[in-house]
Amino acid sequence: MAAVLAALAVSLVPVGATPAGAAAAVKCPVDALDKAKGKPVEIVMWHSMPRASEETLQKLTDQFNASQGDVQVKLLNTTSYNDTFTKYRAGLGSGDLPDVVQIQDTSLQGMIDSQSVVPIGACVKADKYDTSDIIPRALDYWTVADTLYGMPFNVSNPVLYYNKKAFQKAGLDPNKPPTTLDELRSASQKLVDTGTTKFGYSIKLDPWYLEHWLAKSGKAYVNNGNGREKRATAVTFDNKTGREIFAWLDGMVDDKLAINTGPPAGNIDNLLAIGAGNAAMTIDTSGNLGSILQVLGSGQFPDVEIGVAPMPGPVGKGGVLVGGAALYIPKASSPEKQAAAWKYIKYLLEPSSQAQWSVGTGYVPLRKSALDDPTLKAAWAATPEYKVAYDQLLNGVNNVATAGPVIGPYTEVRDVVVNALTQMLTQGQDPKAALTSAADKSNQEIESYNARVGG
Amino acid sequence: MTVRAPSRRAKDALLGYALVLPSLLLFGVFVIYPFVKNFWLALHRTPPFPGLPQKYVGLDQVGDVLSSSEFQKSLRITVLFVLYTVPTGIVLGLLLAVLAHRQMKGSGVYRTIFSSTVATSVAAASVIFFTLLNPQVGLLTYWLGRSGEIGVLDDPKTALVAVSVVTIWQNLGLSFILMSAGLQGVPDDLYEAAAVDGANARQRFWHVTLPMLSPTIFFAAVVGSIMAFQAFGQIDILTQGGPNDSTNVLVYSIYRDVFRFGNDGVAAVKAIALFVIVLILTVVQLRFAERRVTYAR
Amino acid sequence: MPTDGAAERRRRRWRLAGRYLLMSMLALIVLFPLYITVVNSLLRPDQIAARPPALFPSDPQWGAYKDAWTTGHMGRYLLNSAIVTTGIVIGQVTLAVLAAYAFAFLEFPGRGVLFVVFLMTMMVPFEVVFFTNYQTIADLGLLNTYGGLILPFLATGFGTFLLRQAFLTVPHDLRDAAALDGYGHFRFLWHVVVPLARPTVAALSVFAFLSAWGQYLWPLVATNDERVRTVQVGLRQLRDTGLDHINVTFAGVVLASIPLFILLLVFQRQLVRGLTAGAVKG
Repeated sequence: MAAVLAALAVSLVPVGATPAGAAAAVKCPVDALDKAKGKPVEIVMWHSMPRASEETLQKLTDQFNASQGDVQVKLLNTTSYNDTFTKYRAGLGSGDLPDVVQIQDTSLQGMIDSQSVVPIGACVKADKYDTSDIIPRALDYWTVADTLYGMPFNVSNPVLYYNKKAFQKAGLDPNKPPTTLDELRSASQKLVDTGTTKFGYSIKLDPWYLEHWLAKSGKAYVNNGNGREKRATAVTFDNKTGREIFAWLDGMVDDKLAINTGPPAGNIDNLLAIGAGNAAMTIDTSGNLGSILQVLGSGQFPDVEIGVAPMPGPVGKGGVLVGGAALYIPKASSPEKQAAAWKYIKYLLEPSSQAQWSVGTGYVPLRKSALDDPTLKAAWAATPEYKVAYDQLLNGVNNVATAGPVIGPYTEVRDVVVNALTQMLTQGQDPKAALTSAADKSNQEIESYNARVGG
Repeated sequence: MTVRAPSRRAKDALLGYALVLPSLLLFGVFVIYPFVKNFWLALHRTPPFPGLPQKYVGLDQVGDVLSSSEFQKSLRITVLFVLYTVPTGIVLGLLLAVLAHRQMKGSGVYRTIFSSTVATSVAAASVIFFTLLNPQVGLLTYWLGRSGEIGVLDDPKTALVAVSVVTIWQNLGLSFILMSAGLQGVPDDLYEAAAVDGANARQRFWHVTLPMLSPTIFFAAVVGSIMAFQAFGQIDILTQGGPNDSTNVLVYSIYRDVFRFGNDGVAAVKAIALFVIVLILTVVQLRFAERRVTYAR
Repeated sequence: MPTDGAAERRRRRWRLAGRYLLMSMLALIVLFPLYITVVNSLLRPDQIAARPPALFPSDPQWGAYKDAWTTGHMGRYLLNSAIVTTGIVIGQVTLAVLAAYAFAFLEFPGRGVLFVVFLMTMMVPFEVVFFTNYQTIADLGLLNTYGGLILPFLATGFGTFLLRQAFLTVPHDLRDAAALDGYGHFRFLWHVVVPLARPTVAALSVFAFLSAWGQYLWPLVATNDERVRTVQVGLRQLRDTGLDHINVTFAGVVLASIPLFILLLVFQRQLVRGLTAGAVKG
């Protein structure tokens, strides 16, 4: 198994240096903790985990704090990935920074451009930390120019959530949920025709439909090796596959098989639709599994039994992308605090921690040996839903497309895509035109960002 | 006397400065400095992160922003929002004020009810309507017959109207209070004189009430417009500028530029544009007030 | 006129009834969202989701209020808002009184110019400068502090203007009498001027309270720690986490609105004066 994974890792497209700078020169002072004068060293971590995930993170942190006397970690919930990033950016100017910060996947190029972190790879090297047990695809996502910038912590990917009871009622096999776009469509058709639910499928207008479905088809999202060979300068999604994806979504809504429940940003209407019987399927992040079980089990929705399945999508030589967030260590912290941060991060990546984390949240356990953990084994045996994201991550080809795009103005590009989807689905714009306009606007954003960075 | 007076005048002057100083300092830091900084920001391209170099680009950025479709759409949306909310608010406030103005049994209760929305904050009103308009579980959605369909706030065709309705509702109390106060100021003998001349209720309204109320209405229109141009809270809670930027009013656009995209330069250009608009409205208000005061005399 | 007296009286009664009907309908529309909020805060989630919807809580559940207060942190948020708002009101009134006194009763070179500066600050909307103020507060280390929430609003051009107007109406003979009695400035201010200007001070206070309490943009950007979060931003939090327990969300809204309702009921007159300051006379 290890040999196969090693071979896959080697076959990844080699990445060149990004022009943004000499991040490789930054060192990680892993020994500073031993020499620290005032122990325990107190550090602060900024995170944006909600509900059940926050509880689990707090539990792990409490365990860490109790287990040793060198480091005490305080958690600060900065509400959302975006708020955290904003606060971080402001902190770069004012000095108000944490010692560990959880930043979402899409901000990778941004974090590189900020030149403000100690690359985790430096700590790995200095500490001779063995990363062979960590899922390689996760490490590869956060590696650009042979440098691992952030330590993957909560990895998730989109999965299909569906109401088993509705499936049964409509005469669909609750153990055989759809796997392709055609199957998704015909299942929706059956649900609507039998009058089981108003619509078959609820679309949370997430920009990552385009991202993941292109990856599943084996297509890159931006140029220059998906932004990993060199800084990306243009998007590449305005192609046949992109048009098929947009057209499929448009067709589903036009034919009243799916309902558009609006852009993300705290929106759980796609799940509420299932709860209210207005839909029976939706795609959402596996990281929300814990919260979803909480919400849909809150007593407001009696007719729902949630099933989880791999994300249906176009067929091709690809797979889902690595998604989620990673932990970064800001350079601004003192050496002791950087070392303390590294120690905390190592704890969070231990097999038992990852097992607990996965069981409590639905995030993918990032240590292969976590699968041997009895709690995890029992949890997965009892609720196999939690295993779906993990399998999905490991199955699938490793290529440029599935390595995932690295884009500076990722947020801006995502907003453009969401707006294009909105325009197509609610204002009657034709899919081809919507996609092209999305590509044009995205390219404008990328150009202007690159101008602001490159100088 | 001549020995004491100058030192007392000097002490008074010093005291004067001292009393004014704290305010001036705060103004300097929180009003004047940031106002001036906007111009500097507008002329420099902001890097995505502090620490990277700021590049002087002269008026290029200003030109880019002002000619961008995003800014123009935002301006258009904001003007639409003002047009939706201000006249409607005034008319409704006036209607309620006229109805409740008469001393009838129970009119006090009605007056309290009509002013009640002044006790709701923008955030409270927005959270209430956000929940009531939720496409899956919202009560208003159910009554509008749109249960399970695309949400009112998710549809670019209806989102701005919905946000406007929430705003109008929340402002109703204030509008009512303003118009009522204005009505109080209309002398009764004017009505009596009109009645003696044979004017009926409708004529009295158009020829006595409305003209006498016009300063109040004008004030409400200008101040209301200024406040509407500065709207933010309801957009942040209801739609976050979407869907497809259909509720992306100016202040929200500025907020997004700074806190979502880290682009202070672009935000500064928009902020200056907002300032100019509000300035024009304020000057209009002052000019009219001047003229009206002389007319009333 | 005396001949159709009865008919006239009947018509008048119909008009009156019509008036009451119209007013009642309008009152219902105005009150409805608040009514529904209170009702839903007392229902259970499954009752809220029931269709047709319940319009009256036959079996009121008060637990949502407890949840909103504790888990929803409304108690903490209300306290924060109270602290911040009080700070702003006291600060604004104090600074405005002092500055207005200087402008009204003291002579010093540049007084006119400085007063114009005060007036000009009224032309700069907060929304035009908030993001630089954010950076300033961040640089001062005052993010997520009460100070950061209060400081930018202590100086008020509007308040100074209003109070100066009021102070200028203090009759000259009072000033002279006070001077003759040997009153220093502070005694004059405290014992003569402020009492005379009390209605204006009250109006300004209420106005300041209303606008400080309802602030949204600044607390949103200046804090993201729930320990200092104010009620308005707290409501946004509730919105984010609230759709599966609408009763708690609405209980939170009710809790957040109670202080303002009390204000409205108790200080109605001052409220009206404060809100219409400058409006009617022009």
